[in-house]
Amino acid sequence: MTAPLPQFTAGLYLGAGLLAWAGMALRSRRLERAAVGVLAAGAVVHLVALGLGHRADPPPPLTDTAAALSFMAWIGTVAFLLLLRRARLAGLTVLVAPMAFVGVFAAALPMRSSEPASFAGSGSWPHAHVLLASAGAALFGLSSLAGILFLAEHRRLKSRRPLDAKLPLPSLEALDGVNRVALALGFPLLTLGVATGMLWVASERGTLWTGSVHEIWSTLAWGVCALLVTARFGAGQGPRQAAVASVGGFVFLLFAVIGVGLFA
Amino acid sequence: MRVLLVGMSHRTAPLDLRERLAVPDPIPGLRKLVASEEVDEAVILSTCNRVEVVATTRRLEAARLRIRSFLRRELAECDLGPEVDECLYEHVDGDAMRHVLRVACSLDSMVLGEPQILGQTKQAYRSALESRAAGPVLGRLFQQAFATAKRVRTETRVAERPLSVARVAVDLAKRIFEELSDKRALLLGAGEMIEAAVEALRGAGLAQIAVANRTPERAAELASRCGGTAHGLDELPRLLAQADLLLSCIATTRPLLGAAEIEAALGSRRVPLLVIDLGVPRNVDRAVDRLDNVYLYDVDDLGAVAEENAAARQQERVRAEAIVEEQKLRFDAWLATLRAVPTIRHLRERAERIRASELERVAGHLALGEAEREAVEYLTRSLVNKLLHAPMTQLRRAAEREEGGAMLEVARMLFDLDSEPDLDSDPGGEPESGPDREPADGA
Repeated sequence: MTAPLPQFTAGLYLGAGLLAWAGMALRSRRLERAAVGVLAAGAVVHLVALGLGHRADPPPPLTDTAAALSFMAWIGTVAFLLLLRRARLAGLTVLVAPMAFVGVFAAALPMRSSEPASFAGSGSWPHAHVLLASAGAALFGLSSLAGILFLAEHRRLKSRRPLDAKLPLPSLEALDGVNRVALALGFPLLTLGVATGMLWVASERGTLWTGSVHEIWSTLAWGVCALLVTARFGAGQGPRQAAVASVGGFVFLLFAVIGVGLFA
Repeated sequence: MRVLLVGMSHRTAPLDLRERLAVPDPIPGLRKLVASEEVDEAVILSTCNRVEVVATTRRLEAARLRIRSFLRRELAECDLGPEVDECLYEHVDGDAMRHVLRVACSLDSMVLGEPQILGQTKQAYRSALESRAAGPVLGRLFQQAFATAKRVRTETRVAERPLSVARVAVDLAKRIFEELSDKRALLLGAGEMIEAAVEALRGAGLAQIAVANRTPERAAELASRCGGTAHGLDELPRLLAQADLLLSCIATTRPLLGAAEIEAALGSRRVPLLVIDLGVPRNVDRAVDRLDNVYLYDVDDLGAVAEENAAARQQERVRAEAIVEEQKLRFDAWLATLRAVPTIRHLRERAERIRASELERVAGHLALGEAEREAVEYLTRSLVNKLLHAPMTQLRRAAEREEGGAMLEVARMLFDLDSEPDLDSDPGGEPESGPDREPADGA
């Protein structure tokens, strides 16, 4: 009964993405609103799918890449929907919905993890690690999507192209706001994710650091994210540089968490 | 029923004449118009760019003269003389309908796509309703006009892009800032250009305004009008450091602000600064645009955007005109069905009179009780309705087509509607031996 739900979720996310792009192409507010509605419906169905999946007997391993990707897509979508209530960000659906679709779709593909997950005697650390790290990565993903749109709009404004008042992209200020909020929330979650990962390893192997490929790349990615956050909040980095850094930081994070697992 | 429109607009009449014909309250004029025999329904549209009377009439020539006389002698406070006639245009039936739709859609406006005209048209129609001057035909026409305007606005981009420099500036500000209410604007200069732009920005929510000018008195004047604070140019670095939006239009021979000045003023601040330089020669050095968080637009940039927007609106005009034509055809079809109404009404009345008369005549022979009488009433009424249903439907349909007039004529001839019916004659024969007698043809 739960098998079609992820597919249905992916369908809704894809539909939301198509509606959002059609809305942008046709400059239709109605389509844009419909896209947000379908995206929200997708998030609800996704939650149900995650919940039902977790209650299955036996439950699917949360520590695999597929589960992490699916959870990242859900967290990113929900965070975006919450931010929508505070600013005119509906234009960002053109990026968020396709990314959510890619996350759910990729979760359905057969993948191998960098290391076989072990649960024996680990308690709740595996779950805590995956949930916190995925949530952190999802928020970094959201900040990078806002960054992409910021850079597009910045370029457009600098080139003095004609303005289309009917369906404007989100304002630079709103996009920069998404970047700040996502980084401010995402980094602590990612840090907790890394910490719980180390505790998981400690409970398994009796040491916090084993030097595995996943540990090395994850720590590197955390370091990059720490630099990004320090530059943004500590060194007074400007909005455009922050947007560029967010995009670069998320690409690195994605590679470190998923890419290394795929190619190692 | 004919639809007639007589009026003048910015295309045909100079401003001083339009001014004299502008009516703040059209209701007394409307009452006068519909009190006359020539005009059945009327709506007066009076704006700064046009004065038009839309009317329905059964006497076209007389109505035309009546409305011209009304515009020349009664609408203004004095007789405006024959020169008014030269500025008046007339549209009849289809052309009049099309004109009303185009006006409501702002396709006939001085600024294509301007939004005010729709509200003014709605107000004109409301006044006509209040004074009971608008009836079913103009009611339908204006509802159609409002629906057309809505379609044009939603289906085309004719009204989307701003055309004035001030409106383009507002659009720019909204692209950069989420809210204008918490932003600070610095106005450098106190001339008309600055005032127009700041008015538009205030309309969009801008509240915190500082005016800096060489002449402190002029700065104070503008500051008092826009609710801001007045400053001298010596305070520029401090004011600039606090500003989110710089509007500049000051007389100068070389740029007053360069990249170094703005960079120094912004210091470590990392929020964007929108600079709108309306000055000629430019007040702000073009190199400022290279600063990362500064968005510089000069008067040529804004003008170019406004021009491109105007060109884009003109391209949309074709689509808007197509919608107007489509909506006009719908109204035409509805209006055409009205041509069938007198014939249909006449036919129905004639049939009813014959039915009632025949029933009265036969009832004397039949000694019917109350229940039987009601049954026969029902039967005859039902027969008449069923017999008339097909011809009436066909007449309505035919009326929508061009040849409908001929069909209506044929119907009047076939049913002999133009003469009084001879209710005493008995073309079908009278029952001779009561209700039990078998019909002669065995049917």
